Amino acid sequence: MPAGDAFTPEQLYDIERAVRHAEEASGLKFSVYVGGADSETRPFALELLNELPDPDHTVLVYVDPAGRRLEIVTGSAARRQLSDTSAGLAALAMQTSFATGDLTGGLVTGVQQLGQHAHQPTLLHANEPHQQ
Amino acid sequence: MITQLSGHTLLVFVGIPALVIAVVALLVFASSIADGPRYRPGLSWWAPPVWINGPETTKPDPANLPELPAGPSTTATAGTGVARTTGGASASW
Repeated sequence: MPAGDAFTPEQLYDIERAVRHAEEASGLKFSVYVGGADSETRPFALELLNELPDPDHTVLVYVDPAGRRLEIVTGSAARRQLSDTSAGLAALAMQTSFATGDLTGGLVTGVQQLGQHAHQPTLLHANEPHQQ
Repeated sequence: MITQLSGHTLLVFVGIPALVIAVVALLVFASSIADGPRYRPGLSWWAPPVWINGPETTKPDPANLPELPAGPSTTATAGTGVARTTGGASASW
């Protein structure tokens, strides 16, 4: 790993794979930011969310390792699929791993959990005409 | 008696134990040396920001991010490309 990088290439791959799976399962966009904030974490996470191409359908996971803060921000449309309660459960799972120093494991577990909670089962025969 | 401490004696009673200690220490610390610096809660964070699946997969400088319009911290004003009512959760450790 190059000196100073937060994750090894293998760890980055694991996180990106979890993000990809969560997006496939939910149909939402997922984004993960790990770094310090120069202000309060929640407004900073909102700024990050609004930087993304489709913030309404995005779930942003923001981790501040130095400040030991974690924010999950859901856009307006994403919030309909992923309730605040579900986000809180994922935050709890991540918090447990982060407290032991396992950033990668926490992110992978948390993103997977968010994707599962946001998963919407496909409606079978929804577009077919009703038959008596 | 001291005059009888030959080089061979020093090798057996000092050199070999020192070598064993060095090998054990190397085995203990080898994995952490290979993995590089590890995150330790409570200590300073050394790495630059990482944004996975961010805009254009860039790593922005927090100082150059645009200012949010004034308003409650949990909502942002409606507009193109700006999330309206947002939800989520927070935690600290």
